[in-house]
Amino acid sequence: MTILAQCGYARKQKIEHGLDEGVIGGVIMSPLDERRSRLEQAIIQWRGYNPRPIVLFDPQFYAATLNSPRDGHLSEYDYYNNNNGLGRTQFSGTRIHRYIKECLDYQHNTFGNNLAYLIAPTILFDGFRDFWSQVALNMAVESADYHATELKNPQPLLLSVVISETAFQSMDAMEEFLDALTELDVEGFYLIVRRNANSLQHAMEAASFGHFLYFCYVLTEINKFKVLVGYSDWQSFLIEAVGVAYTACGWYQNLRQFSTARFQPAAGGRRPRKRYSSAPLLSCPLVTPELEDIYRARLLTLVFSGSTHDSILANGPSSGSTNWSDEISCLVHWFSLNGISQRIAGQTNVGTRIQEAERVLKNAQILYRQLNGNGVNFDPQTGPDHIAEWLSAVQEFRGLARL
Amino acid sequence: MARPELTIKQVEKLIPQASNIQYLDCCGQKVVFTGIIEGRKYALKFMSPNPSQAVDPSNELLDDVTARAQREVETMQQCSTPHLVRMGPIGLQTAEVAEKPIIFFSEEFIEGKNLQQHLRDSGSLSIEELIRLAFQISEAINSIWQFSKIHRDIKPGNIMRSDEGDVFVLLDMGLVFDLQDASLSISPVGTPLYFSPEQIDFSNRRTVMNFRSDLFSLGIVLYEMATGKHPFVTPVSTTTWEVIGNILNMTFEPPISLRADLPVKLNEIILRLLAKRPALRYRSIALFHLALREVEAERGGA
Repeated sequence: MTILAQCGYARKQKIEHGLDEGVIGGVIMSPLDERRSRLEQAIIQWRGYNPRPIVLFDPQFYAATLNSPRDGHLSEYDYYNNNNGLGRTQFSGTRIHRYIKECLDYQHNTFGNNLAYLIAPTILFDGFRDFWSQVALNMAVESADYHATELKNPQPLLLSVVISETAFQSMDAMEEFLDALTELDVEGFYLIVRRNANSLQHAMEAASFGHFLYFCYVLTEINKFKVLVGYSDWQSFLIEAVGVAYTACGWYQNLRQFSTARFQPAAGGRRPRKRYSSAPLLSCPLVTPELEDIYRARLLTLVFSGSTHDSILANGPSSGSTNWSDEISCLVHWFSLNGISQRIAGQTNVGTRIQEAERVLKNAQILYRQLNGNGVNFDPQTGPDHIAEWLSAVQEFRGLARL
Repeated sequence: MARPELTIKQVEKLIPQASNIQYLDCCGQKVVFTGIIEGRKYALKFMSPNPSQAVDPSNELLDDVTARAQREVETMQQCSTPHLVRMGPIGLQTAEVAEKPIIFFSEEFIEGKNLQQHLRDSGSLSIEELIRLAFQISEAINSIWQFSKIHRDIKPGNIMRSDEGDVFVLLDMGLVFDLQDASLSISPVGTPLYFSPEQIDFSNRRTVMNFRSDLFSLGIVLYEMATGKHPFVTPVSTTTWEVIGNILNMTFEPPISLRADLPVKLNEIILRLLAKRPALRYRSIALFHLALREVEAERGGA
């Protein structure tokens, strides 16, 4: 179980420092957010690291079907630039073959074994029975076929699936889709759940998230596919508990949960307020006032994740906040996710991993109560409602998987 | 559709190189004899084509019976596993007997009993035999699937337990379905008691049949050979339609509750084969064999 850095704008030295501190095991590169030459150079450079990081390139082809997307540096890549602005009629067999060929050829020919896996291009869909879900399946079939027959000694292939969270409301349709997906003979899948703009920053609705956990479980535990879930943020440990090998998370909110707002022009506004990533709370309380209130209640050590960077805030979050940089905040976030991930990985099977995940959730619930009891109040965005939602999701999952 | 009526003398005339011809059996649209050719015993299968049911109007001889016989012969020629019945020296031929068209071919004759007879005469199989049955018939399923085909009629009556060396052999590829050939029927054919859920609900556009459908049928066979009981036949549901309903919806009793010495892992394997959704079974025969090897390892076997 490995946490990967979900790259985006302002990568700077975050990846190198994350690798040095051992809080991430690799990186998913984003062609949207940085110049092609810089991205290619970075991928080659990381091969020298020891242990060698898992490096992936997310082609982000799904942006090609969005309406007037802000596609940034994607236009520097032929597989995207030749094919963007795609409508329903532009997914014939011949065209799909071309999209696949251009995208996989680029990754294979440019990076060779510097990438741990090739990632197939896909499109985003909202429901498991809609038109676009069939296009996504056709692209998956074509990708598997092209990878198996046309590329010489390629790295293993992950098929991308980018799905709206609402799709997971329909269990029947999801199971049908799984029947089709599990027919494919590939190494595994790269899954991204598109969050709804109005529910972003909150937990997914419990039943849908429970179904998503089951979706991952069927792919990993039952069918032994290697699965990577992108933009997974605090949900990573639950996703890993059901068998997923890799999860990914970045530094900004739009790199922690996926929405198509990522491909829309930035709305502007002030810088986000500083937050601290607390593994015991499974959330990111504001440095001020939330963490400051906890400090005054003399309970700060209970919410610390145990990173060496915690010392910056240990003598008073307000006074330490000036030294609490974006990069340190990001490193502590990865540290926190990685810590819980290792705790889950220490368990022997899916049943005990889920039990351990439930313990993590219940401990968080108790801690929120204790803090509330000491006069600490949280912004709804910090918690604790997401904990109850996740506990319900785990119950839903247990019922489906009969665990 | 009528099966051909043939005498031993007529068979001798049709296949002069065969000696010691004897009537064996008749089933479905076939009449089967045995005969010795070049010192070995073979099964000789005869069918009556039915030109009025031509599946290809441009070729009136290619009726459903002929198409199935062609598919059966082609599959036997393609596959080479010892767990799938092999083609004999007489390839698919046509002839006329009493002014009626007839088609015939020969296949390997296996000395032994089919599992239906075995269950009736000797009861359920030992744990070792169950594991061997699972390995060998799944190898046959895999061999057919290498050519994008599925058997569609796996049942105790179509599996022979050879007298020599306890080898299990899958018979009767007459219903083999080629996923790459649209000319063959996709409507539910086979033996309904051994249908997979997707074989029943063949209209589902997403859940197309593949080898996982045959794995479901193998799951029923393993259950039956372990417990002596069909998982979906209950005292209150004995008609075909009721059993089909059970295949689609019923949660059956785990086989271990009827066979106490069944290893827990083998019980789990049978439950997985009988999952209603193909995605919950095994996505490759290699993964299935891996699970079976774990059962063997626990029992101190190979």
